[in-house]
Amino acid sequence: MPGEPKRLEHPRSVYIIGFIFKIITLSVLIAVIYQITFSPHGPAVLVPIKEKIEESQKSAILEEVRQQEEYEKHRHFHHVVEYPQLPENMRPVCYICHSDYPHSKNKKVRAMLNMHTQFFVCETCHIQEQPGISVTYKWYNPLNETPKGPFYGTEYDPETGNLIEVEDQFSKISPFYRTGDKFKSAIQIQDSALAQDYVKVRDKLTPEQRDNVKKKFHVHIKAKGHECKVCHSRNGILDFRNLGFSANRTIDLEQLNIKGMVTKYESFYIPNLFSE
Amino acid sequence: MEFIRIITRKTLFLAIFLLFSFMTPGVDAADKENCLMCHKYRQIGRIDEKGRKRSYFVNENIYANSVHRNVPCRDCHTYIDKLPHDPVTQEVNCANECHIKPPFSNDNFSHKKIIDVYNRSVHGTQEDDSPELKAAKPYCKYCHLNPIYTRVEEQRIAFEETLGRCLNCHERKGVTQAYKHITHRLRSKTSRSPQEIVQLCSKNCHADLVLMKKLKVSNESMEAVKTYNESIHGKAVGLGSQKAADCVSCHATSSIHDIYKKDEPHATVNKANLVKTCKQCHENVTERFAQIDVHSEIGPHEKPVLYSVNVILGFAFYGSVFGLIGLAMLESYGRRKDGIKMQILHGTSWRGKSKRDKSK
Repeated sequence: MPGEPKRLEHPRSVYIIGFIFKIITLSVLIAVIYQITFSPHGPAVLVPIKEKIEESQKSAILEEVRQQEEYEKHRHFHHVVEYPQLPENMRPVCYICHSDYPHSKNKKVRAMLNMHTQFFVCETCHIQEQPGISVTYKWYNPLNETPKGPFYGTEYDPETGNLIEVEDQFSKISPFYRTGDKFKSAIQIQDSALAQDYVKVRDKLTPEQRDNVKKKFHVHIKAKGHECKVCHSRNGILDFRNLGFSANRTIDLEQLNIKGMVTKYESFYIPNLFSE
Repeated sequence: MEFIRIITRKTLFLAIFLLFSFMTPGVDAADKENCLMCHKYRQIGRIDEKGRKRSYFVNENIYANSVHRNVPCRDCHTYIDKLPHDPVTQEVNCANECHIKPPFSNDNFSHKKIIDVYNRSVHGTQEDDSPELKAAKPYCKYCHLNPIYTRVEEQRIAFEETLGRCLNCHERKGVTQAYKHITHRLRSKTSRSPQEIVQLCSKNCHADLVLMKKLKVSNESMEAVKTYNESIHGKAVGLGSQKAADCVSCHATSSIHDIYKKDEPHATVNKANLVKTCKQCHENVTERFAQIDVHSEIGPHEKPVLYSVNVILGFAFYGSVFGLIGLAMLESYGRRKDGIKMQILHGTSWRGKSKRDKSK
């Protein structure tokens, strides 16, 4: 108004109140815009457009995989627990083609063999012995050069009798080449030069060329892994005590009755014994 | 002879199982047969012939805290009869009797009673259902994953104090679980939150319009999820209310599983039962109140009056919000065009002289 003194230098509280009101107004505005466009509780005017875009980007495979995961959750009934996963580039190179469930041929033992992927990398079982090179087995964690443990599966909880829960979810028993006092990891991760190069060019290779390269990854790998007793016995290749397994756990692993069940399957399973 | 042969086999089988169970220390009470010896490892599983991931992992610590913790594995997985067992092709039947005796009863426990209620409901499979419909209907496990004991945090139950009184006579381990088993049902009609119930009924089922169309459901059912979300109950649940009505609040009695089509006389949403259903939350319900459409599509042809009111209210709401903002923006634009500057610090927010104001 003319004649009135100019309003100068408001107290600081005015700015704070103004700021709060602006934030409230802005959030109301955003909420109303969301309500009118995408919210299932409002007129959803933009939802048809969103659906059209999603439809054009749909992948039948992706859809099916997601559906199956959902289905598996219900089929399983017992809780499906999500465990932390290693970042893609830190995983062993085998993961480019194989998953955590690589065994599928032998119906009797495939689930049991897959179970072992929690405890060690593929090479622990599938490494090709080379003359003159000694292999030692140690805990290996791609995120930690000297994992200290405690590692999963090495100890029982005295109270419950269950295996103790551990923080370290990534350590696995893995082979190392030994020269004197030095240990060199016998496995490759996806960050290795060969693996990175392969991932970069694999789409450009013909199927034959791809097979050739895959052979390169399998130079020191044998198709059939160790027999159970190679580890599950008194003088097996894995020194359970040195690897940090407790005394009673070591005894259980060395005298594992499950091993007897699998290798002596034929004699154990007398046909028709349990049929009615 | 045949009988003796079977008995001998069963005894031998039991003996082998017992032998295994004594060989590993600290097995859970329910796992006398030591199934967890293999199944406690999280990577036990495979990709099946159809390319589906199958996990056979049972987390022993979670299982020991679930409501089934005392049920031996083979009470549900009855088809396992040798070790190592064959690939499982059969489903678990929840109506089986298990070797658990409920308190004050000599009968073995079974879910049969509630399954009978469920089988009579709209979700139970009927003989004349099409194969698609049979496949689409939810089975026990679809809604119920092995529940974990949870304690009620609400103030209405003084958990520690009440449990403390139980402990005067009972052992801590058993009675704590039993106490949680009862108290978590005191929370509300369902143990799940309204948000979880709405999600359970909608996702992959009632909100899947392609599936619903295939199953030839009524028009009302086709629109059910959409109209619920637009209703006052749906909006309140969407905003996080724990008290507003979810699907089960209105469509089932306290047996939860007895959901019927609204034409069925025992349906909670049948016209004759509506007053009673609304009364669960709304105290002074009249016949007239119960006539209110809770969630139905409001189209211009079916309900012209409601539709017009709806449109007018919509305009009033969006009009006032966007109108006010529009006015403020127009005003700002006008002032800027006139050469008045917005200034935040040192005094008034608008400074300068309007070009149009010739008087000064």
